[in-house]
Amino acid sequence: MSGTIQVGHDEDRFDRSRRIDLLDMDSINDARCLVVGAGALGNEVVKNLVLSGFRELTLVDMDHVVLSNLNRCIFFKEIDSRGRRMKAEVVAERGMGLDPDVSIEPRVCRIEDLPEDEWREHDIVLGCLDNVMARLHSNSHSYHSKIPYIDGGTYGMSGKVQVVLPPETPCFQCGLNRSHYRVLEKRFSCTGSDVTFFEPKMPAEITTTSVVAAIQTREAIKIACDLQERCIKNVFHYNGMTGLSEELELSIDPECPLH
Amino acid sequence: MPLRIRVRNAETGATVDMELEAENSVEEIIEGAAGYWEKDPGAYVLRCGKRLLRGQQTVADAKIMDNDQLELIPDPEGG
Repeated sequence: MSGTIQVGHDEDRFDRSRRIDLLDMDSINDARCLVVGAGALGNEVVKNLVLSGFRELTLVDMDHVVLSNLNRCIFFKEIDSRGRRMKAEVVAERGMGLDPDVSIEPRVCRIEDLPEDEWREHDIVLGCLDNVMARLHSNSHSYHSKIPYIDGGTYGMSGKVQVVLPPETPCFQCGLNRSHYRVLEKRFSCTGSDVTFFEPKMPAEITTTSVVAAIQTREAIKIACDLQERCIKNVFHYNGMTGLSEELELSIDPECPLH
Repeated sequence: MPLRIRVRNAETGATVDMELEAENSVEEIIEGAAGYWEKDPGAYVLRCGKRLLRGQQTVADAKIMDNDQLELIPDPEGG
């Protein structure tokens, strides 16, 4: 009596991913992602993207590592904060260490300084930012380039993810109100002789960051696999204290300049 | 005729009742509630059931009804 034993393909890094029928690993491998921000969400999102099979990433951040980043950033070490290393460069270097087939191009600059034509070199933009101004910029440039934009945000134990699929869904700007613009004004307050930049220290920890980054990455996977119809069409809110998450409906603002 | 609503603070569970006219805006509700609870200056959104209300909408536009319970949620800005 003879038989065949099915042996797992353990030499294939993505064998277990390929067992999920809906995932198209070739499309994921080919998709080019622009990750804006290399802080807590940026660390988690890059880690998730690389482990999910994305191979071409551009990572933009203007800042350097500080000690208070270390409670929620997988790629940062104390030596990075002592050496004032640039976040984008550290995450790119260590992210590529997860998979030799991955290319992560670090761009040490403000997102506002990224040349216009570089946006169009990407298929998906992931916003891992900590302020409304940079989100507005990322939202509008993605929208004009017709690139899906996946915005994440955290505050303590709560978080949110918004997926913008131009032109079908509401964009990030559609959801803003006067309280957001007040925050903007406070950040860039003009005293008459110069402009002061106020940067509030926000409560943040790793579990909320992980949840939000995971949702962002999963939405990127759906987009790469041409499963946009299954994407979050509105705004996903997560409350870590109650354990509740839900998708809240947002309508397109007829006054929004992008629509 | 004014309508009466209740706003719940998503962070604490506290509630406050408000009387509104149809022409009041969602932004006025947000500012009224945030001011009542002396919240830190920050970005907030207001939900009504499953709907996120846009700031510029009036009470009438947003189809807010008498005795509705709305919820004030901090809009997470951190990354």
